[in-house]
Amino acid sequence: MNDHFRINRREFIGTSAGALAGALAASSGAAAAVPPSDQVNLGIIGPGSRGSALMRAFLRVPGVKFRALCDVYEPRLAAARKITGEDTPGFADYRRLLEAKDLDAIVIATPLSFHAAHVTDSLESGRHVYGEKDQAKTVAECDKVVHTVRRTGKLYQVGLQYHYAPWYQEGLRQIRAGKIGQVTQIYAYWHRNNNWRRAVPDPKDPKLERLFNWRMYKEFSGGLLAELGTHHIHLANQVFGDVPESVIGAGGIDYWKDGREVADNVQVVYRYPGGRTLFFSAITTNRLEGAQIKVYGTGGTIVFTQADGMSYYEPAQGANSAVPQELVVERGVTTTASFRAEKPYGGQGTPLPVPEDVRGNADYLACASFIDCVRNNKKPGADEMWGWISGVAVALGNEAIESGQRIVFAEHVKKPA
Amino acid sequence: MALALATLAHAQQPRLFTDSRPAMGTIFTIHLYAPDARQASAHFDAAFDEVERIEEALSNYRPSSELSRINRDAAVVSVTTDPEVFALLQRSLDFSRRSDGAFDITVGPLMRAWGFFRGQGSYPSAEALAAARSKVGWQLVALDPAARTVRFARRGVELDPGGIGKGYAVDRAAALLRESGVTAALIDAGGSTLYAIGTPPGKAGWLVHISQPERREAVVSDVLLRDESLSTSGNYEKFFRLGGRMYCHIMDPRTGEPVQGMMQTTVIAPSATDSDALSTATFVMGRERGAALLKTIPGARALFITGDAGSEHSTAFYSFRWPTEAGLPWRASGPAVSSNERKHAGRTQPQ
Repeated sequence: MNDHFRINRREFIGTSAGALAGALAASSGAAAAVPPSDQVNLGIIGPGSRGSALMRAFLRVPGVKFRALCDVYEPRLAAARKITGEDTPGFADYRRLLEAKDLDAIVIATPLSFHAAHVTDSLESGRHVYGEKDQAKTVAECDKVVHTVRRTGKLYQVGLQYHYAPWYQEGLRQIRAGKIGQVTQIYAYWHRNNNWRRAVPDPKDPKLERLFNWRMYKEFSGGLLAELGTHHIHLANQVFGDVPESVIGAGGIDYWKDGREVADNVQVVYRYPGGRTLFFSAITTNRLEGAQIKVYGTGGTIVFTQADGMSYYEPAQGANSAVPQELVVERGVTTTASFRAEKPYGGQGTPLPVPEDVRGNADYLACASFIDCVRNNKKPGADEMWGWISGVAVALGNEAIESGQRIVFAEHVKKPA
Repeated sequence: MALALATLAHAQQPRLFTDSRPAMGTIFTIHLYAPDARQASAHFDAAFDEVERIEEALSNYRPSSELSRINRDAAVVSVTTDPEVFALLQRSLDFSRRSDGAFDITVGPLMRAWGFFRGQGSYPSAEALAAARSKVGWQLVALDPAARTVRFARRGVELDPGGIGKGYAVDRAAALLRESGVTAALIDAGGSTLYAIGTPPGKAGWLVHISQPERREAVVSDVLLRDESLSTSGNYEKFFRLGGRMYCHIMDPRTGEPVQGMMQTTVIAPSATDSDALSTATFVMGRERGAALLKTIPGARALFITGDAGSEHSTAFYSFRWPTEAGLPWRASGPAVSSNERKHAGRTQPQ
């Protein structure tokens, strides 16, 4: 029943390996002189909080120039010009930006509800697209992005930057090599202790409130699950190599009763084929857990954060363990003069190694890889299908939270052929 | 009833909120006036996120930072960086030029040779010192504004933003708070760099105590800060003693050795980036050359305290356009320093 959802394993591994190679190539070649013909000209729609971070990351890649800016809030254009250090042309209407003749690719960092229109119109204009996550707000829009990418033949990379983080790549490599045994559960958190609001220049202006705090309003936003959960869901999709089968969820406006429309806490449980589970929680009233993803295997655990990763070994326990004996043989056992009653696993853990030749943070690596793809007409690693899977998972997760019902994916989505 | 009305009126006035978070190896604290907790919380998040963004760009303790990326590759190839980081590097080298190399963001190998990256330091061998000195010098960093690239003249050169990064982060946080409509705030980067936006309601400025080196409770001078910055560098935060001498963590890049004879410099300047760099530069340059540099910076003022902690030498302090009275509190009737380029030395016995 779920075969048509399953990601072809060769495609899955090929995509990931290609992504790593691309990141490495982009990274090691980052400093080479760029002939004028190789200059990549970008336009950006939405140079706000996230957009300005992307601009800085792109401008660290040799031969990249922003030639057009678009924002409905004029002060953002001035702020973006400070980032480019130039008098870059600015527009209030993104269609005017798309009329510019000299753009190779468009960077999109607008509120979620605009993603589908901005991405597909940019692709239709003949430009490649780096589009912030989520791919789109609804299942139908996620489908539309995939179909438009395929029909136009243009390159599309979704803004899942941790796809390019070297510690994520290494953790996934270890997981696929069986280093932590069989993975059955992933517990992921993004816990904060704040109201998740942005400061508004004039708090009494309701238009500005919705403009700056669009994440609070359903018209624009998918709430905590979309804005914070997508990275975690994407990693689970990579680990399980599959599309979820079902999702249940809970959440509500339970603490920050300040006029917001989206939940201030959400919990979702995705079930994947083979009895595998992702639990994700986002709360705004305690930050002990922070942002982390715990991948539990029968032979160990890998914990990813946004800065690094750690692996923890868990020894064989009776017949249930999937840990190969070699693991124990290779590691050996330790003798000490006195008995120490410590846990036989865990401990300090082992940091996931980052290859010596990988430079920069996840944003830089994602942007450098996209530019490498544009220059060499290569398919991005975080492509439209990865964007589609996490996008529809978020859309259906939100539906589960809203309805209180268990949502079965096969009844709502069909993986684009 | 009167109390209720007064309370209501009070509630409509901006109130003071304070939040602290660890950043850049210290604690950043922001005090700001906002109409309510919701606005204050949004301001805090935005400002601290901005500090985190700068740390992620500049930290040489984070392998993923932009500066770490430059440090790893720039000896081999020209490294493109974004306009913001490039501009800060330009500004850093400009301070090096203007301070005759007293301020130098390539000082990292010396810090390492003297052990100050790991702990309280130790005297390096002659070979280690010579090796470190060969990698230090702002002239070893070439910036190409047209290509926006950074290139090192040799391997081992590295950029260390310790003397300017906190100030830049404070400036950025202040700019962001201003853009968000904040009109009264004090941003405090671990006490060593402060920036004041406006004044607290009804006050002439944010009160800042300049304390005596090694004795926080003893106040040398009070200043009221308003729409400007203040930074303090001291020899008492990290140091070690050997053979009766004290070796502090602030290096003179020109000699390769820790600065001697200066205990504390406090500089007021329009921007925190400037005050941060200038407090370090003047600490290295000494009071006379330091004052000469400050004359070229509009609005700069300073208070220098010279001497060697724990030594038999006496301690003295010197003012450069310092705006308020200053005195040595550990001396009952110490002379006061007034202002405007008059240098007064208040001498005292070491404590």
